[in-house]
Amino acid sequence: MSERTSDSIAPAGLAALAIAGAVGGVAVVSKTIKSSRASAALSSVSPSSAARFLTQASFGATDSSIADVQSAGFQGWVANQMAMPISGSHLTFVENRINSRKTPPNKPTKALLFNESFWLQAVTAPDQLRQRVTFALSEIFVISILNATLQYAITGAATYYDMLAANAFGSFRTLLEQVTLNPMMGVYLTYFANLPANPATGRHPDENYAREVMQLMTIGLYKLNQDGSVQTDGLGKPIATYSHDDIAGLAAVFTGFSWYSTNPIATGPKQTFYPKLGLLPLDPAAIVNPMIPYPVYHQTTAKSFLGVTIPASTTPDPLGDLKIALDALFNHSNVGPFIGKQLIQRLVTSNPSPAYISRVAGVFNDDGTGVRGNIGAVVQAVLLDPEARDDTAATSDTFGKLREPIVRVTNWARAFNASSVTGFWQVPNTSDPMLLDQTPLTAPSVFNFFAPGYTPPGTSTNAAGLVAPEFQVVNEISVAGYVNFMQSVITSGLGPPPPGSRIPDVRTTYSSEVALANSPADLVARLNLLLLNGQMSAALQNQIINVLGSVAVPTAPPAAMQTALTQRVQLAVFMTFASPEYIVQR
Amino acid sequence: MTTSFIDRRDVIKAGGALTLLGSAGAFAAQLAAAGEAAAAAATTDYKALVCVYMYGGNDAHNTLLATDSDSWSRYFAARNTGFSPIALMPPGTAPVPVGQVSPVTGKVSQLYTPESWGGVLPIVPATPQPIPPAPTASPARTFALHPFLGPLQTLFNSGRLAVVANVGPLIQPITKAQYVAKSVPVPASLFSHFDQQGAWQGGTAAPTSAGWGGAMGDYVSGMNGSNTVFTAIAASGNAAPGGLSLFLSGLTVRSYAIATGPVPADVIGAIQGSSLLTSTLAPSTIASLIQPTGSTSNMINDYGAIVARSINAASSINAATALAPATNVLTAPAYINPFTGLSSPNALAQQMQAVAQQIANASRLGVNRQVFFVSLGPFDTHHSQNLGQPDLLGQVAQAFAYFDSALSNIGGADLRNVVTTFTASDFGRGFTMNDSGTDHGWGGHHFVMGGAVKGGDIYGQYPTIGIDAGSFNNPDIVGATLIPKYSVEQYAATLGAWFGISDAQLAAIFPNLVNFSTANLGFI
Repeated sequence: MSERTSDSIAPAGLAALAIAGAVGGVAVVSKTIKSSRASAALSSVSPSSAARFLTQASFGATDSSIADVQSAGFQGWVANQMAMPISGSHLTFVENRINSRKTPPNKPTKALLFNESFWLQAVTAPDQLRQRVTFALSEIFVISILNATLQYAITGAATYYDMLAANAFGSFRTLLEQVTLNPMMGVYLTYFANLPANPATGRHPDENYAREVMQLMTIGLYKLNQDGSVQTDGLGKPIATYSHDDIAGLAAVFTGFSWYSTNPIATGPKQTFYPKLGLLPLDPAAIVNPMIPYPVYHQTTAKSFLGVTIPASTTPDPLGDLKIALDALFNHSNVGPFIGKQLIQRLVTSNPSPAYISRVAGVFNDDGTGVRGNIGAVVQAVLLDPEARDDTAATSDTFGKLREPIVRVTNWARAFNASSVTGFWQVPNTSDPMLLDQTPLTAPSVFNFFAPGYTPPGTSTNAAGLVAPEFQVVNEISVAGYVNFMQSVITSGLGPPPPGSRIPDVRTTYSSEVALANSPADLVARLNLLLLNGQMSAALQNQIINVLGSVAVPTAPPAAMQTALTQRVQLAVFMTFASPEYIVQR
Repeated sequence: MTTSFIDRRDVIKAGGALTLLGSAGAFAAQLAAAGEAAAAAATTDYKALVCVYMYGGNDAHNTLLATDSDSWSRYFAARNTGFSPIALMPPGTAPVPVGQVSPVTGKVSQLYTPESWGGVLPIVPATPQPIPPAPTASPARTFALHPFLGPLQTLFNSGRLAVVANVGPLIQPITKAQYVAKSVPVPASLFSHFDQQGAWQGGTAAPTSAGWGGAMGDYVSGMNGSNTVFTAIAASGNAAPGGLSLFLSGLTVRSYAIATGPVPADVIGAIQGSSLLTSTLAPSTIASLIQPTGSTSNMINDYGAIVARSINAASSINAATALAPATNVLTAPAYINPFTGLSSPNALAQQMQAVAQQIANASRLGVNRQVFFVSLGPFDTHHSQNLGQPDLLGQVAQAFAYFDSALSNIGGADLRNVVTTFTASDFGRGFTMNDSGTDHGWGGHHFVMGGAVKGGDIYGQYPTIGIDAGSFNNPDIVGATLIPKYSVEQYAATLGAWFGISDAQLAAIFPNLVNFSTANLGFI
């Protein structure tokens, strides 16, 4: 690739990145990485550096993905990934499964059909970068299948996730608009069928989305500098980004949007705006298509927020008002550092340096071609930043993040080439703290499974003034639950056994590992590369090697030998997954 | 031979043979060997606080209602609007069968509309509430509870339940004029779930670094012998609705999580046996590698410390919970959904059963002061409030009644006098409606239950009701927001004083307490 030695915008890179949905070029590396460093890294990526990169950029390293990164270099791999077509539609999978799931004996609930689709794609899809970024976006733009309505509208949840995937390397402005008009977000944050104010009763527009889209999805609570630091007033107190008046003003914009219909009816007994309390629309198309404006229900008074005022009007203009509001949010100087930091936290490290945040936010502000909000460019900046690519972080006291429980299991499935016997990836709900304390798209609230600013009380991380968001799901129950869950997954597999079998649907034979198990050191070296990027401590390596040595391998009969070798592999894999050295990615 | 709590305690007093003290290891062994005898180390000075957290922000305006004519008419006007009005029916209104027209609203009653639930349930506070200053015109104030809070009405009338009116995070007292003029400081990020969870659980001073339950635990954990790990227990169980949970985190005291069900601690199976996958070396090696201490990474050591705490506490708490009196704790009842008629577990009552089991274990484990945290949600009823809040309030009421009942017989002893249960929530909700629900607010009303509680009364002045209109200017509500009259710190300090926290300690935990005229709201 021509970028390898270039310090300027690289045409070949641009071509590779000019994909559908992306905005402009993404050749911004020259702005975020010193060229000498980038060239050195790209010309000779070691297997462990590649694995470490893939820990951040994918659902887990595999033999082939390590080879891909070594071959293409970090930037080339990113470009190749962004050029890939989206691997599949969750909606299509879910629609197909709604009927086929009725075949006994395994009949997952509707809510689990998205889970199947998630695991299928997360583990097997070739567009791993998009997969991983989409998952990160689903933890910033949060909807949850825990919501009773969404459980019954699983095609809607699948559509929502497909929408995130389609925008994963696209324009943040487009993403924001499609999130806003998505009916599942409308249901989840309750602004579908939102009515205008009625001064006589004090009735006001629902403020839920207006508040959370600012607090969680765009600008956050406090004014930020580009490096993510909080701006303070003369007394040292943080400066609030918005007041309740801003929320009320913005809420008035989000009035008069509701279910899609080819024949929208605003009033009367057959109205499509607001079906009976708690019920979904009769038309299934309304669940999978963007919400539409019902102008008669749109508030026409003046609306002020974030220094913008939409004047009062006699003609309701829901989409025009929406454009003004989303533009104001999108162009707020907080978005770059606010969203950039969260993407760093989801992929790379919980406590990025201000300089790292500033570099990423700078790319959000301008991708190098004058375009603001190019998510693909931001993702590239996050992953190729020298702070992310510095392999000496392996010995840092503060760099890194807790791997999310779901990602630990995708790591397992990918590293060991697990497959689904049914092809449906029948992974159960794993929200119980005695399992994983996490199920995709099933956060307990719009505040996600964990908050970006969470710091676990009473820890050295807390004492150092640092955060560790994923520790919000770590407690005495969940740490034990995880170890027990992984023991079961590693030794027998995941999910219900398919018809005629007693072995779980998702399973692996560890063929590559069994082949090494006569040599514990070689086996451990392989796990060290695939799961710990070569960072496993000598002490842990020795502990595992010693345990493997305690499992005698008979030379005959072959079945006994195979059993012993497999036991060695399962022990080694289990010990690796149970170790906090693995659980914290660095 | 009887095995009741009191009888065992009496035996011990008579014999004087056992002491409370002993190392953790010795204690665990003692549990296994001595069985019932270990329970004889009964505590005579036990107290517990139980925080029932309603995640999402409970709509207090539809929880405790003023029913005097002036309040009611203003309430009804504000909430009988939108696609799905949430105005409750006045006291004494008979439930209107589904499909029939309500004489109150003129609308057809449906399962999910207040018409079919019947009127709010009157309660008469022992102390007459002051009539708010003008512009309220009622000659006297009367009150009622949401129609699904029947069990709380019973507890109120029995004198074991009090209501505390209009509590919320405050830095100092504030009037409507001061709030509008921004002339008095208010807590940061009002109306934000995460931040107000922090303010309620952490106290206004340190909203996201420590909780006042844990801070109180810091001062009393010395009374828990070798089992200080059980000072602060979160039993949010497997159905935790999510959100910030720092109530139990003190400076030294940490929140200890237990599961609901007969086995409170999850035990790591791989390190229990003598071998794993034929390796006799594996269990001990795994036990070692999963609790590292000397990593260069803070997070690795932090994670290892939590694993260590999990492993170290599991055997003693599980052993104790497997014995009487924990095993004899009343079983949490199933909950019948009032709308569907379907029976399902009451997640809150299940958590409270787990708490009752640990209260029953207190003597066995040698702990004398405990703080518990249980939760239910989501109360964030922006939309379709008629579907959500009544069902949740029904679960809260049933869980409170269950807990009262369970505590009345812990191994034969009535422990209601030494356990105080109270509610908390992100915030109250707005007084006015949106299309079918309510938005984030500030002040709210809360319940306190226990034998030590001066029940049957409403503490604090209940606010004036109604939105500003014409000459009516409500001094307590600005826009839709109820301005709290009493601070979370006063509410908490009142509980803390009962729990045995000294005035000086309370002042240290709650630095804004000095800004208020009293540190004790008098409900206990």
